Amino acid sequence: MIEFTPEVANTVITTASYVAAGAAMMAGMGPGIGMGFAAGKATSAVRRQPEARGPIITTMLLGQVISASTGIYSLVIAIFLIYGI
Amino acid sequence: MVEFSPEVIDTVIRASALLGAGFAMIAGIGPGIGQGYAAGKAVESVARDPEARGNIITTMLLGQAVAESTGIYSLVIAIVLIFTI
Amino acid sequence: MKNIDDPQKLQKEILKITYLISLLPIISSLLFGEYDITLGFVFGLVIATLLLRLKYNNIIRALSMEEDSAEKFIRNRYFIEYALYFVVLFSAAKNANLNFLAAAVGLFMIKFVVILMSIVDLLKDTFQRKFDEYK
Repeated sequence: MIEFTPEVANTVITTASYVAAGAAMMAGMGPGIGMGFAAGKATSAVRRQPEARGPIITTMLLGQVISASTGIYSLVIAIFLIYGI
Repeated sequence: MVEFSPEVIDTVIRASALLGAGFAMIAGIGPGIGQGYAAGKAVESVARDPEARGNIITTMLLGQAVAESTGIYSLVIAIVLIFTI
Repeated sequence: MKNIDDPQKLQKEILKITYLISLLPIISSLLFGEYDITLGFVFGLVIATLLLRLKYNNIIRALSMEEDSAEKFIRNRYFIEYALYFVVLFSAAKNANLNFLAAAVGLFMIKFVVILMSIVDLLKDTFQRKFDEYK
């Protein structure tokens, strides 16, 4: 029969949650890639149609407000995992 | 024959649930890229047809809200894994 | 959304609606005496407001660049923003006077309002169209 002392059990769980927090933080990449794409498109759009500047900025601002949120979800989970709220 | 004490089994299950929660959050990459892509395309079409900006922005925001749902699924699964198992 | 052509006015409109909606959780948590929830929520909301301003300034700066450099610029700025979110959530998790979940909800408040506004817009549009057909 294999048994763990409490220290070993704690270590295993802590290690697992740190590895998992690191994996969760990977999701922060996605919004960065997507927002960068949107910014590139917006610059070429403003170059092509300077009079539509206002609506373009509005569209991009609202789009970025929404896309940033998945990154924050992963951050919330990572902090849950590390500090165990 | 190898036997595990109940504490060992508990530890392993808890550790793998935490790891699973971390890996579930990698799904956050997808919505991030997709929402940014949608914002880029919306900016392009506002530049092409500034008259239809109201409709384009509403459509973009709703599409992003729907694309968000996979991120929220992974968030829910991660929270369930952390707090119930 | 009335002020679609003017980003500055649109920001003000969004923030006004956000603060109006936030009064509900703030007042109810004050009434129930859960002061850590109030503080966490207000903390998240203030940071979200400031980050909206930051995002707007970044976009204005990116628009004067070439396509490739704008892409890189916004990506780097997003990672700075991500670090700021980390600091905010970290301090909410470490500080006993700030409720962690309330701070996270405060950070998401502006996003909820934007989605709410677009849904209201869509419903208004649909009913207007139905009404015109009926007439």
